[in-house]
Amino acid sequence: MAEAVVTTKGKESSAVEKRPAGFRLSNVGQETLVLGTTVVIFVLCAIFVTGFFTLPNIATLARSVSVLGILGVGMTVVVIGRGLDLAQVAILATCAAWSLKLIGMGFGLGTGLAMGLGLAILIGTMNGFAIAVIGIPALFTTLATGTFVYGIGRWLLLDGIITYVPDNQDFLIALGQGEIHGIPVPLVIFALVALVGHFILSRTTAGRFIYAFGDNAEAARLTGVSVRVLTIGQYTFSAAVAFLAGLVTAGSVASINTNVFSSSLIFDVLLIVVLGGVSLSGGRGSIASVLAGTALIGTLLNAMILLDIQGDVQNIVKSVVLLGAIALDRKLHPRDEETARQGDL
Amino acid sequence: MTAEQTGEPMLRVVKGTKMYHGAQAISAVDFDISRGEIHGLVGENGAGKSTLCKALAGAISLTSGDIYVDGEKRVFATPAAALDAGIVMVYQETSLIPTMTVAQNIVLGREKYLTRLRGMYIAAQQLLQSMNFHVDPTAMVSTLGAAQKQMVEIARAVHHRARLIIFDEPTATLTPEEKLHFFDLIHRLKAEGVAIIFISHALEEALELTDRVTVLRDGQRVHTGPTKQLTREILIKHMVGRDLSQTYYADARKPQTHNTRKKKVLSVQNVIMGKMVRNMSFSVYAGEITGISGLIGSGRTEVAKVVSGVLKRNFIYGGMVYLNGKPIRYRIPRQAVADGIVYITEDRKLNGFFETMRIDENIYVGRLATPEGKAVLLSRREQTRIGMDWIKRINIRAINSRARIVELSGGNQQKVVVAKSLVQNPKVVFFDEPTRGVDVGAIQEIHDFIRSLAAQGIAVVVISSYLPEILSLSDRILVARQGRIVEEFSSSEATEEKIMYAAIH
Repeated sequence: MAEAVVTTKGKESSAVEKRPAGFRLSNVGQETLVLGTTVVIFVLCAIFVTGFFTLPNIATLARSVSVLGILGVGMTVVVIGRGLDLAQVAILATCAAWSLKLIGMGFGLGTGLAMGLGLAILIGTMNGFAIAVIGIPALFTTLATGTFVYGIGRWLLLDGIITYVPDNQDFLIALGQGEIHGIPVPLVIFALVALVGHFILSRTTAGRFIYAFGDNAEAARLTGVSVRVLTIGQYTFSAAVAFLAGLVTAGSVASINTNVFSSSLIFDVLLIVVLGGVSLSGGRGSIASVLAGTALIGTLLNAMILLDIQGDVQNIVKSVVLLGAIALDRKLHPRDEETARQGDL
Repeated sequence: MTAEQTGEPMLRVVKGTKMYHGAQAISAVDFDISRGEIHGLVGENGAGKSTLCKALAGAISLTSGDIYVDGEKRVFATPAAALDAGIVMVYQETSLIPTMTVAQNIVLGREKYLTRLRGMYIAAQQLLQSMNFHVDPTAMVSTLGAAQKQMVEIARAVHHRARLIIFDEPTATLTPEEKLHFFDLIHRLKAEGVAIIFISHALEEALELTDRVTVLRDGQRVHTGPTKQLTREILIKHMVGRDLSQTYYADARKPQTHNTRKKKVLSVQNVIMGKMVRNMSFSVYAGEITGISGLIGSGRTEVAKVVSGVLKRNFIYGGMVYLNGKPIRYRIPRQAVADGIVYITEDRKLNGFFETMRIDENIYVGRLATPEGKAVLLSRREQTRIGMDWIKRINIRAINSRARIVELSGGNQQKVVVAKSLVQNPKVVFFDEPTRGVDVGAIQEIHDFIRSLAAQGIAVVVISSYLPEILSLSDRILVARQGRIVEEFSSSEATEEKIMYAAIH
């Protein structure tokens, strides 16, 4: 009887040393489920929605979700580390627009981009500093800095609501509209950013520490992880990625509209991140999760546009999907009363 | 009461079975308890004690089997249903609402529609006083210590007119003095006819307190009988199903090997931190196990945290800490880890392990956080090697090194936490309550491991509330009281009485 399989829930429960093998839904990653759902919807759309399964449409689909996906990668790195970056869209709009303006004023392409990137990194570092060193919750910090950055941009840095890509900047336009061997450039950039994010999270010590910190911040600190540097790094990465997303946005419509800050874009980013199975309570998820989430939302939105479903209904569908995903997250990773910490999202 | 006339026990479980994912947590367990009986429930971690009690309290429902209250068959679908039948479970992890006052928590769920605060406070005050609990009913629960929270939980159970109170490890967080009060209270409850189920790892307590004891092993009942016929050895034999050649602490006190004084590694002088650590001074020697005993709140945990950089001592007049003669002051634990000082937490769930990670990943994180183990890129091979190495060295029982840590028993989880710190090649190790919530077999193994560390020349400090543990492990025993070290004993002169006297006097 010493070998008996003992499974109990609760305090002692952790005594499951051997589990009966078998298929269980909770063993399947959420990203697999989401990806499966995507495939089903994709096939259904391909069959029933006219004009869906055509090369131009697929290219449009890829283009439209790329910005979302790029932001999602940055957000994922932050959320796995138990944070939240609501300042992404403000950084996207302000820093990219400022870059365009500087280039238009006669600064070189390189200088202009470097200044914009520098500003983004500065903001990200400030976010990280406020969160890690001063100890303000990420939600409030990034909400405030987002509004602050947007305000500064509109007041001091930029001239109007819309900043246009200067003439003869083919490189910037290509970022949004170009193709490489038939593959849209935004998609290529998304793929590269996803690869970098995946590499950082799964292959580097920093990535492992981000998971550890998101899982149990105090345990990570006690183990000797320099948690402040780590947190600052996450927000800096997220900000830099947001700047890149801004350039892609600018390139695709040859201008950037700072009012994007007032849109629900940031919640779409959160939607794809959470949808893919990155847990808001930290430590869980991967870049694969974002890819799955992006694919699902992209397919859904595209299909709804083709079906000429009005915007309000689209929002309703999005919100239902988000609620469903969060409910699924709770089902697969039930909140454990014993390990739950105060302030859990 | 008809139940008493027919001799029917107050509560009876017949062939209680609970399955989780096709595995049996408890299988066909029979259990009964009468009015005014104190019934001990013992068994190793994972034996099914908590499962059984949670079923009684309505927190989970049985897969099969019946529960009879006063001979009447009952089904508890929710904790409220069990509460109505007078069954209350006092959980180890407190279920109080931290932002409410003590009195509000006590009456929680039983409020009248209109509650006058003053009346509520007076009633709560009377209740607490009648039980000899020194807790202010107007205090916010979040400001209370662990022991006081427990008192409030118990007061709540009494207030709810419980007929059966289930205590899950009630004494784990209590100091010895509070323990006496607690036992006293249990006896008074018993006199009033309340039935009590007492789950404990501390066998002495079970033997001292209970009328009958039920032993569970691997989800099955292996023994039920009057406590009088039991001894500690018999209990352990039932629990583990084998004879432990030595009980896990008895007389394992090793012969004094150090005739000459060993090298002083760490010297703590007049350390002051807020109100918790008032003036701590002690030294730690290489190859020696220094035990620190004392009540909760005596500053023993805090001083260990100060030395290892988890907490900061006062900046001015904060005292000095020397490591090998050099003064040290750490802002963050990372610096202490780099210098070879590690603190192994008393609460592994709260800040010990990473629940989403596997065994080898947990240990590898510890390695990566050291200056020698630092790397930019992860190495799968290194991770596997370290994982396998430590699983063997500290005897972690799991299917393989890739098992997730939440699938392990408390003892094996504790071993992973220990391995995660020891992979950092420390020179000074602070163990804070190294065997809390760990089953009997694993306690033995962890103790052996701690001894082997000292034998390798590492300076070990063990902080424990459990006196037999301190006595059996330590070469030297320090007693802390009110933020100071008040007494030092050599292992040969120390006794439980002496330590206790120093700790509370």
